[in-house]
Amino acid sequence: MAKKKVKSLHDIEKLHQKLLSSRQNLKARVLICMTGCRALGAQDVCTEFRKQLKRLSLDKRVAVVETGCIGMCARAPVLLIEPHEYLYGGVTPEDVEEIISTTIQDAKPLNRLAVKQDGKPVVKIGDIDFYKRQDRKVLENCGRIDPGSIENAIECGGYVNVIRALTEKQPQQIIDEVTSSGLRGRGGAGFPTGVKWSFARKSPGDEKYLICNADEGDPGAFMDRALLEGDPHRVIEGMIIAAYAIGAGSGFIYVRAEYPIAVEHINIALEQARTFGLLGENIAGTGFNFDIEIRMGAGAFVCGEETALIASLEGKRGMPITRPPFPAESGYKGKPTNINNVETFANVSVILKDGAKNYSKVGTEKSKGTKIFALAGKVNNTGLVEVPMGTTLREIIFDIGGGIPGGRKFKAAQMGGPSGGCIPAAYLDTEIDYDSVQQIGAIMGSGGLIVMDENTCMVDVAKYFLEFVQSESCGKCTPCRVGTKKMLAILEKISRGDAKIEDLDLLERLGRDIKKASLCGLGQTAPNPVLSTLRHFREEYEEHIVLKTCRAAVCDGLVRAPCQHACPAGVNVPEYLALAAEGSLTEAANIIRRRNPFVSVCGRVCDHPCEHRCRRSEIDQPLAIRALKRYIADYMDDFDTPIARPTRGQAEVAIVGSGPAGLSCAYFLALMQRPSVIFEAQPIPGGMLSLGIPEFRLPKDVLNKEIGFILSHGVQLKTEERIDNAIDLLKDGFKAVFVATGGQRGKSIDIEGINLNGVIDALEFLRDRALGKGMDCSGKRIVVLGGGNAAVDVARSAVRLGAKEVTILYRRTRNEMPAYEEEIDGALEEDVKLVTLGIPKRIIGRGQTVCAVEFLKAELGEADIDGRRRPVPIEGSETKIQCDIVIPAIGQIASTESLNVSGGPELTKWGTVKVDPVELKTTVDSIFSGGDCVTGPASVIGAIAAGQKAAVSIDKMLGGNGNLPQDVGFSFTKPDEETLAQSPLRPEERNIPLEERKRGFAEVVLGLDRPLALAEAGRCLRCDLEK
Amino acid sequence: MLDKNMPEVAITINGKELIGRTGQTILELAAENGIDIPNLCHDPRLVPTGSCRLCLVDVAGRKGPVTACTSKIEPGMVVQTETDEIRAIRKTILELLFYEHRGVCTTCNENGDCTFQQYAYEYQISDEVFTKAETSEPKPNYTTGNEAIEYDLDKCIRCGRCIRICEEVQMDSALTFKERAAGVEVTTAFDIPLNESTCELCGQCISTCPTGALYERYAKGKGQCKDLRRTRTTCPYCGVGCQIDLNVNPKTNDIIRVTSSVGCIPNDGNLCVKGRFGIEFVGHEKRLTTPLIKRNGTFETATWDQATNFIAERLAKIKEQNGPNSIAGLSSAKCTNEENYIFQKFFRAVIGTNNVDHCARLCHASTVAGLARAFGSGAMTNSIDELKNAACIFIIGSNTSEAHPVIALNIKEAIVKNGTRLIVADPRRIDLVRFAELHLAQKPGTDVALINAMMNVIINENILDTDFVKERTDCFEELAEALKDFTPEKAEQITTVPAEKIRQAARIYASASTSSIVYSMGITQHTTGTDNVLSLANLSMLTGNVGKESTGVNPLRGQNNVQGACDLGALPNVYPGYQSVEDSKIRAKFEKAWSKKLSPNKGLTVVEIFHAVETGDIKAIYIMGENPALSDPNLNRTRKALEMVDFLVVQDIFLSETAEYADVVLPSACFAEKNGTFTNTERRVQRIRTAVPPPGEARNDWETICDLSTKLGYKMSYDSTGQIMDEIASLTPIYGGISFERIDSVGLQWPCPDKDHPGTKYLHKGRFTRGKGKFHAVSFKPPAESPGKKFPFVLTTGRQLYQFHTGTMTRKSAAINQISPTGYVEIHLEDAGKLGIADGDNVEVSTIRGKVSTLAKVTKNIEKGWLFMPFHFHEGPANMLTIDALDPLAKIPEYKACAATIKKS
Repeated sequence: MAKKKVKSLHDIEKLHQKLLSSRQNLKARVLICMTGCRALGAQDVCTEFRKQLKRLSLDKRVAVVETGCIGMCARAPVLLIEPHEYLYGGVTPEDVEEIISTTIQDAKPLNRLAVKQDGKPVVKIGDIDFYKRQDRKVLENCGRIDPGSIENAIECGGYVNVIRALTEKQPQQIIDEVTSSGLRGRGGAGFPTGVKWSFARKSPGDEKYLICNADEGDPGAFMDRALLEGDPHRVIEGMIIAAYAIGAGSGFIYVRAEYPIAVEHINIALEQARTFGLLGENIAGTGFNFDIEIRMGAGAFVCGEETALIASLEGKRGMPITRPPFPAESGYKGKPTNINNVETFANVSVILKDGAKNYSKVGTEKSKGTKIFALAGKVNNTGLVEVPMGTTLREIIFDIGGGIPGGRKFKAAQMGGPSGGCIPAAYLDTEIDYDSVQQIGAIMGSGGLIVMDENTCMVDVAKYFLEFVQSESCGKCTPCRVGTKKMLAILEKISRGDAKIEDLDLLERLGRDIKKASLCGLGQTAPNPVLSTLRHFREEYEEHIVLKTCRAAVCDGLVRAPCQHACPAGVNVPEYLALAAEGSLTEAANIIRRRNPFVSVCGRVCDHPCEHRCRRSEIDQPLAIRALKRYIADYMDDFDTPIARPTRGQAEVAIVGSGPAGLSCAYFLALMQRPSVIFEAQPIPGGMLSLGIPEFRLPKDVLNKEIGFILSHGVQLKTEERIDNAIDLLKDGFKAVFVATGGQRGKSIDIEGINLNGVIDALEFLRDRALGKGMDCSGKRIVVLGGGNAAVDVARSAVRLGAKEVTILYRRTRNEMPAYEEEIDGALEEDVKLVTLGIPKRIIGRGQTVCAVEFLKAELGEADIDGRRRPVPIEGSETKIQCDIVIPAIGQIASTESLNVSGGPELTKWGTVKVDPVELKTTVDSIFSGGDCVTGPASVIGAIAAGQKAAVSIDKMLGGNGNLPQDVGFSFTKPDEETLAQSPLRPEERNIPLEERKRGFAEVVLGLDRPLALAEAGRCLRCDLEK
Repeated sequence: MLDKNMPEVAITINGKELIGRTGQTILELAAENGIDIPNLCHDPRLVPTGSCRLCLVDVAGRKGPVTACTSKIEPGMVVQTETDEIRAIRKTILELLFYEHRGVCTTCNENGDCTFQQYAYEYQISDEVFTKAETSEPKPNYTTGNEAIEYDLDKCIRCGRCIRICEEVQMDSALTFKERAAGVEVTTAFDIPLNESTCELCGQCISTCPTGALYERYAKGKGQCKDLRRTRTTCPYCGVGCQIDLNVNPKTNDIIRVTSSVGCIPNDGNLCVKGRFGIEFVGHEKRLTTPLIKRNGTFETATWDQATNFIAERLAKIKEQNGPNSIAGLSSAKCTNEENYIFQKFFRAVIGTNNVDHCARLCHASTVAGLARAFGSGAMTNSIDELKNAACIFIIGSNTSEAHPVIALNIKEAIVKNGTRLIVADPRRIDLVRFAELHLAQKPGTDVALINAMMNVIINENILDTDFVKERTDCFEELAEALKDFTPEKAEQITTVPAEKIRQAARIYASASTSSIVYSMGITQHTTGTDNVLSLANLSMLTGNVGKESTGVNPLRGQNNVQGACDLGALPNVYPGYQSVEDSKIRAKFEKAWSKKLSPNKGLTVVEIFHAVETGDIKAIYIMGENPALSDPNLNRTRKALEMVDFLVVQDIFLSETAEYADVVLPSACFAEKNGTFTNTERRVQRIRTAVPPPGEARNDWETICDLSTKLGYKMSYDSTGQIMDEIASLTPIYGGISFERIDSVGLQWPCPDKDHPGTKYLHKGRFTRGKGKFHAVSFKPPAESPGKKFPFVLTTGRQLYQFHTGTMTRKSAAINQISPTGYVEIHLEDAGKLGIADGDNVEVSTIRGKVSTLAKVTKNIEKGWLFMPFHFHEGPANMLTIDALDPLAKIPEYKACAATIKKS
């Protein structure tokens, strides 16, 4: 194409038409991302395409276009084929021949390279969730044109609207249009762009400047880079219009030197625009003069602040100055200057194309148009996402982003980069715009959106962002320079477990004062990540300080290995796994038993928080720690020998309740040579372990063997001895009492028909069965209400007891069910029906006997405090399930009868026992409490940990040092890299056949065999040895 | 800054209605009204930056607190400076600074004068809130090993004042911040040692530091501010007359440091390297402490009585044998007005001769002669402060930033902040060229040609001030006639300055609303010195740039009291106040006052005195505080004369090169040890005060002379120097209104004829001293000596920033010696290349009169064919080479041009 200068509006329109029609001659276009994907081999793919097409003489009819970012960066290198709109990821040169033959020649999709959605290939870009729900207006050309070709841009309409505006409109008209479009600055503060322009226009002076702020510095944000790399002409267009509107003759693009491709592409684009007469003197014959210079910044974050940027442009140290005067009055070289960021300029081109009115139809009342977010962190589809203002976080993260990897829980999203704040799950359904984000303590910022899951520690997050702003502070003003450093020092103290609770107040005070007193935006927002995490996750901070735990198992100073840290009982997982891998099972078990007597039990029913934190899941899958524990317990040689000398003599400590908490407490006291006696109201010991968990999950003999092991340490057990008043035990001469009475009764549900015959509480149902007086279910239709483990246990027990039909009715969806995933799977395999999104309305009786449950269908509404969406009943959707028995399983009530006496300790408003979280002391001296009666229904391992803690506290109170047996230093075997790399995948535990399962209460899970177990144990990365 | 011409603005601060001016900041208005808003990064000399954030105040309607130092007042503004919230934020900020500032007050020199310490006390800051940052071993920084300045990072609060004062006031830009965030620290560009940077060691950074992070290394551990006694006095170096405070530890009587107060006249708290770091000589161990009499070629200590009796005897005898005119006295531009008065009185009334002169002969004799002829008065016409507001400044033959550094600050400020246009005419590319619009590098000794050509342009282009010429001057026609053919092209051939540049310079100078000429030795130290001065007078009158504010012809005087020594008659032709000794009426007045018959004949000048020794006409020389053995031209000849003369008395503070030749040496008190007055270059009579006692038996010069006088039979006795000043005032009309009481806080500028006269800011307002200004048609004459085959270079001499005069004082300072250890000769890169001379090489420079060894400094700041040597160094003394050819009228020697050669040694 002849590089003829464009001399009029007519010229550019003609050129646009001509270029557009020349595309008709093409059979296909292969668009290959040559920006982000370049690092992952896109260039080779491109070369191979050209080679193959030439060989096939297709090179004239098929264009290979080197584009900017197409998106789906996780699948790089990515390419898109037009007109088929097929998107392929992870493409290698070896795939090229097949792509040409299948897709270009035969127009057929190549599924193996397609994006997978719910396990199925989705080949058309428009069908991929990631794209389907976006509204790509600003990114329209990104990945669709060759950024190195101005013809490509003009073909897509580039410059046409700009030249039309220059020709037909007065500057003020343009300002009015931009103002009425509602465009707000995309750099972060959201100042109305049109208003900003009018300030610069009104400012007196002949010499004015325009600056494009491309000093994108927020960690994880790269929308400006993508625009400059993928569609630089769009930014130049925006700048020309802005310059015309404010009356600027020269402009700068201030871009980070770390963006070499962006710099290269802008330089090419500027040169081409000049060659085409679209930049420089007398642009397209309109008489308007404007040229742009590119300046590279050296990567100081503060240079994104406009006054610091100007200082840097002027060749000074990039330090901000106090405003006023604003740049619009006195900016570059003291002249009126207007600064907008890249995305803002890119939006201007959308306004010119669609008109202000149409532009403002997208978005919310006060925030118009679309916004590009850089989706990063713990989310499946990372990359740039353009959505209308007002889209919810849930849509962005779950619908477009594909949710959190590994099925982990969403915890928070950091929005607006280091100046922004953390948005917790409760706001997942808030419509995101400038104002709503600010209300919840974050800022829109440039659109960085970092997703965090439950393995993210909020103290660590705050520390990370503060570390960033701290090191990027220019050092000019005191609060930012020293204050952030000091805040960081406090955070470091917290994460080491060295802080005091008052430090949180100091953090807040500092944060508040730094915000008020800092000179520029950097300092004024620097404390935001700390303040917002403190606001939404204060309890996590407190845990670090008081309990010295990091629930995400991240903070270095507190965490030896994440698995160990995640274990409430603090079991030294890495070392016992290492011993197990060597086949030393008894030694392995003894390490476990130094912190947890229930090896067999926990090998079967533990909710294994250790596995959730396992670092191996960052590589492939977490270690099967629970299964390994069971393997150790099942195959160890010497199960019964006590690990310490049994205690003798008069019991000093009375323990009320023989559940996991009570038994553990007695066990650990025994390890510290303190004799105790356990009082159990029921005829058999074990509490929930024996009376709540059905045998098919935890066989009686396994449990009894383990209880026997505990008792063999000299622990006395008195069954069928109910304690009505725990305080009296002190009068009886006990020096300390540990109350671990659990939660024996189910929560009742307040609906009509709850008292009908055939309604039975889940716990009662399970207990009766365990005590051998179980209900006969044969031929019955049973509905279980609830979604927890108890509900599933009941349902599966009922199946085994001969029920004809078992249905679980749950208010939300399966995703929100608290029961273990594998238990739900098991139940479904056993033909339990699962009805979700059903809210029980009433139980219908025939006479005094149950005949049906009526429920309202529901849909999910906004998030509640923990981010789970609330079920919202649908009016008039009443539905019935015919049944004979209804078993509510919606929670337990803490059993505190023995303490609910005169002179007894305080209870909480939820009816649980109030204790000091570290020492488990109640408000009455010498009375301790732990387990479900303190926490409400919780995990077995939690109860064991409570017993352990109580034992330590009691020992200390009685004059001991509270030292548990040493459990560290038994194995230092470092895994070698090669073995680790070649590890097999995490094994599945085998189950007994389905038919066998339904026939009785035999244990369902068989556990691992030796080869699988040893191999699995060898997958451990030994994070504990990294320090 | 407060501009009284701006409209008034009414605002409320803490409920009080206050009136300020548009452009004023909240902080300024508050301070003006006694409302104290704490601040650490603010210095009235600097552009506010709002970086410490301590001056935050609450302004109604503003979202958050704002910094008072950067916020301009606006009508109706309601400001609260002490709300609970504001005080809480300030406390946090102070706590943070306290955390960063790891210094300990107990061992800090600044203790007692530390702003930060005061606030820490006021806000009761505790270091408990934020545990102290870990102290580490002090790591090296840009001042490590520097003898002048020490930067202590642990005390630095990163307010940036040092950096800003270096950039905004000193315009030296030697300092910057490095690193970011909490790692920020002050350093030089590229982190090089201070003395290798552009730093001029002015110590302004120290003066503005609010915490003692920057300090004089010399002062460390020698006394804390809270214990120091401060004495306000006048700097003993150049003619600027900076007001300094000598900080003395009363326990040791040591001068610990030199400071200056912002707002003082004429230097506004600014000082240069010599004023700040050059005072070490006062307590130096080599000070003379007892009289010395030379016997058999060696000095022996003597009592005062022995010494003065001996002198009185010898002088009486010489006078008796050879007449009074066989005795000559050199008075001193370093001594006080009172001492100069007593000295010349002693010579005139007691010895009976007018053979009294001093080193002004060597610097501004041509100024006195030239300006007296043109205007009727030979002094700087205008004031230093007026330079700031001149529309154009024409600097010729003055390396202002090295010789008068504090005046250079005014000039730089004018250029950078007020848009003044600067023309520099100087053969060398001096530092001020950086600020100049035009640099005219005229060949040395061709000033008349240059100025004549400028006037030719002005007349030809009719940009002269015809009204002024008509009303206020005589002899214009002669001038115009003489200049007719003196075109820029003709001047180009003589001066090598392109004709077009001369035209531009003429146009800029003539067309500016106010143009001020600044000159110094480059003009005066020539055989054509008087002509040069006359030419400048011509130029100023031609364009009406004299007798008005911010204009004038402004010679910058080189010594602290060279103006005063001239004023007080230490000249062979005039009594105090430039009253001619040849005028019988005036002589009668003095004869009456001094009760003595006085000589009606002019005496000999400095160089003539030494020449007269050769002829045997002079038998005895009495030298008070001068060092001709190093300062005078053609040293071989001067030294020979010193050796030859029958009787030589030297009164000084050190055993100078000259004193070595003396028969009797008398120890003197120095400026810091005595009371009196100095008169600075802008004719301002200022006090000096006793800060420390003199060493040993050293005495005030005036007391020594009075004693001697008494012994010679003429009783001279005064209770105090103030009494001497009263006598001066009674006999000297231009000092008529001056008394110690009146100049106690701010000095007065003469003429000040009576007790009610406010002093004179600029001369010749409405009327020249001589009535009408007189043009002198001056024709160009080449220097006395021209380069030839054997001596192909033109050697010029001058000062450099760090050293002063013959180095007697400055070379006692460790700080100064470190940065300026020895002499050198500047040579152009290409010349050096041709001669195989590299930077730092040992070279030998010679003229027909002698040769010296020194080091080569290869540069491009000097033209090809030129050499420049500073004259301060006794090793390699430049004046061994200089010519003693004199200006016929002023008798000033031609230091600025002689023929020389150079070779590698």
